[in-house]
Amino acid sequence: MLIADFEQFEVLLPSSIRRGSFNAGTALHSEHVFRILIDSVRDYAIFLLTPEGDICSWNPGAERIKGYKPHEIIGKNFRLFYPPEDLATDKPGHELKVAAELGSFEDEGWRLRKDGSRFWANVLIARILDESGNLIGFGKITRDLTERKEAELQYRRLIEGVTDYAIYSLDPHGRVTSWNSGAKRLKGYEAEEIIGQNFSKFYTPEDVAANLPDRILETAAREGHYEAEGWRVRKDGGRFWSSVVVTSIRDEAGTLVGFSKITRDVTDRKNLLDQLQQHSRELELRIKEREQTNADLEAFSYSVSHDLRAPLRAIEGFTDIILQDFGVELPSEVKESLQQIIAATSRMNELVQDLLNYSRLSRIELKLESVNVKSAIRDACNELDRDVRSRVSVSVEPNLMVRAQSAILRQVLSNLLNNAVKFTKPGMPPSVEVAAYRQRDYIQIDISDQGIGIALQHQERVFQVFERLHNAEEYPGTGIGLAIVKRGITRMRGIVSLRSELGKGSTFEIRLPSA
Amino acid sequence: MSTQRNLLLVEDEGSDALLIKRALEKTGADFNLSRLKHGEEAIDYLSGVAPFDDRETHPLPDVILLDIKLPRRTGFEVLEWLRSQPAGLSRIPVVMLTSSGQAVDVNRAYDLHANGYLTKPDTAHALQEMLLDFKKYWLQWNEQPETRLEAD
Repeated sequence: MLIADFEQFEVLLPSSIRRGSFNAGTALHSEHVFRILIDSVRDYAIFLLTPEGDICSWNPGAERIKGYKPHEIIGKNFRLFYPPEDLATDKPGHELKVAAELGSFEDEGWRLRKDGSRFWANVLIARILDESGNLIGFGKITRDLTERKEAELQYRRLIEGVTDYAIYSLDPHGRVTSWNSGAKRLKGYEAEEIIGQNFSKFYTPEDVAANLPDRILETAAREGHYEAEGWRVRKDGGRFWSSVVVTSIRDEAGTLVGFSKITRDVTDRKNLLDQLQQHSRELELRIKEREQTNADLEAFSYSVSHDLRAPLRAIEGFTDIILQDFGVELPSEVKESLQQIIAATSRMNELVQDLLNYSRLSRIELKLESVNVKSAIRDACNELDRDVRSRVSVSVEPNLMVRAQSAILRQVLSNLLNNAVKFTKPGMPPSVEVAAYRQRDYIQIDISDQGIGIALQHQERVFQVFERLHNAEEYPGTGIGLAIVKRGITRMRGIVSLRSELGKGSTFEIRLPSA
Repeated sequence: MSTQRNLLLVEDEGSDALLIKRALEKTGADFNLSRLKHGEEAIDYLSGVAPFDDRETHPLPDVILLDIKLPRRTGFEVLEWLRSQPAGLSRIPVVMLTSSGQAVDVNRAYDLHANGYLTKPDTAHALQEMLLDFKKYWLQWNEQPETRLEAD
């Protein structure tokens, strides 16, 4: 019987063979039984070599894996199984030498089948000594692990091929042990220049000073997992915002063998987020500024309404006193001039009032509600002087309701009616038509006059503040009325437009959302 | 037997005070009119501190005409202070007389328990008409509450 370093074989035999009566009854310690055992193994190539490497036995497993029949291979040298690159370095010779010296040699590598195809072999070579300790040959056990190898390669290619993620591994101390193309792309290092280096290289000096790399490994080791975002440094010194997942890797015994690390460059997302935050901060600031401006305007117009009018009252009041107390003694020219002063203060008061209304209209928060169009028009008509009121004809479809603020709508309508009765042709009585009707989802109100009309080139200007087409003696007014109309309607989410022809009258059209 | 009525005008603007005074005089000068120039003065007068400590020469008014925009203490502050005083003083009728017709001011005045709110008209003529009605209502027809404090 051959005395081999049998325990080496034992480890490689399937557990089903190792179990049971194998090491029990003495009957099994015969060469015959051993032969039967070897011959029944189909998953392992088990054969013997001479000290020179010539094959001197062949089991069915060997035949199955390598493709040779026993008569084809016995007597041939085992170098036949090695690919040319291994032969060039005399790898087979080296393996035998190591096995002869140390007792055994284990290796994994590509081997050749009879048909020339390769398979990934797990190989164990054990020396066989005679009773006096002389080398009489080798036992060789080969397993075909091609499937496992292919899966591993495929997996590695998969990781290697990922370019959007840096996927690499670290040893327990944080030294880089593998490096994919994504890592190369993201961080700028070639695999050969970074493998073996500590991963703290990727961190900013601040983070390194704060011990962040160590703390990350500690956390991952303790909790199995670490996830965070932060700035990392490229080889060229540039920084990128990364999203990182670190997972600890433990062997079956639970010993920490390293870490896997997946890093993604999310700088674009980070920038976008930062920009968004920046925008929202600016917006908040602008809203605050606007609120401040509004508050200033509020204070300003409050002050205008109080302070600007006091001197006007004084001018009017004291002029009135002179007229009342000394009127009889004054020459008529003086009296006329005093009347002019009083008329001027009255106009100034109107201006102040209209300006206040206009600015308030821009600032106040509108509470839109359902407003009855018919009553709004009726209220506005009632504000007209009695003698012109009869010159306005109104036709309103029943049950018209708009989304508006009733006081503003009334002011708008009142301004338009006043406008319509004011700009009549010289010597002609006013003739005004008001029509209100439904148009799909909005309500239209037309106010038409037969007056002097407005030339096309002036039609945009009439809605601007202080814009007048006529002097105050021809047609009195502050020049703010239509500006109030425009702003009021716009703020109520409506539209006002003008159709007019010089000498043929004007139609102002209001459109407001139906309520 | 009816005693002479007392009207207190709190108005910082000299010309306005003059015009108001003249308009009131034109209604028939059958009452006393005292004018104060700012809110602090009004509070001093009503609390009776020097130089207003003599109630013979500085009697508590039957009605106060109170401007809003005043130096030192605004009309609103004066009104709020007055209404927080012990019963008696706090009952004195107050009518605001101001340039502002803004709703926010009108509402605030009534929230602070003003008894009336008048807006200064643009013309002397309108002012006179308004103050004539005011005088009739507050100094002629209106029943005055007791305003003297027990301590007085």
